[in-house]
Amino acid sequence: MFEIDYGSDGEVICAGRLDAAQCAKAEAFMDEIADTSTLDFSRLEYISSAGLGLLLKTQKRLAESGAALSISNVNNHIYDVFRYSGFDAIFDITAK
Amino acid sequence: MYRDFARDFDSLTAIYEFAEKILAANEISESVRFPVHLAMEELFTNMVKYNPDNRSDIGVDVDVAAGTITVTLTESGVDEFDVTRPIDVDTGASLDERSPGGLGLYLLQNIVDKLEYDYDDRRSRVIFTKESG
Repeated sequence: MFEIDYGSDGEVICAGRLDAAQCAKAEAFMDEIADTSTLDFSRLEYISSAGLGLLLKTQKRLAESGAALSISNVNNHIYDVFRYSGFDAIFDITAK
Repeated sequence: MYRDFARDFDSLTAIYEFAEKILAANEISESVRFPVHLAMEELFTNMVKYNPDNRSDIGVDVDVAAGTITVTLTESGVDEFDVTRPIDVDTGASLDERSPGGLGLYLLQNIVDKLEYDYDDRRSRVIFTKESG
């Protein structure tokens, strides 16, 4: 199960497991993001390369207009995946 | 424990639940369960993506013995695709230089302790192990 929605402060709250089967749902939401935004991963348990690809695609699109995604409250396991992938250099990431 | 899964991304939840039950019963820590689930997904989705016309199930076996988790994925009627071949991903590249995709097998090769592939009579079998301690 994966859920994505705006929080009360305008942050994007991601929850559950972002696997390849859930990417279409995540992509439909992320494609609507037009400005600099923070993704709150405090309730995201898991991400695979499919989710990483979506984050990268969104970051590249936003960069064209000078905007960017940042990611907050990342758990240790997901942080490791970001580090292995080099995503810690292309996203502003805050650990949980 | 062995089970067949439909060759579809929608099988991922069932695969997660199947493996999670075995790993939890063996008191495998979350820090080990996470990369095991990730490796299983990357292998399974790779098999689905690169053999879209094949409708046969994919077999998944998960075994825990003497502190070692061994996972085997098997598919039949497929072309050879050696997942152990070196994957060239420049993880230090800038945002401009990077493109979505291509990370799955790279991650797989970096998070498991051992990765083996064999191919015979149009059957692919991938085995990976992860130490639990």
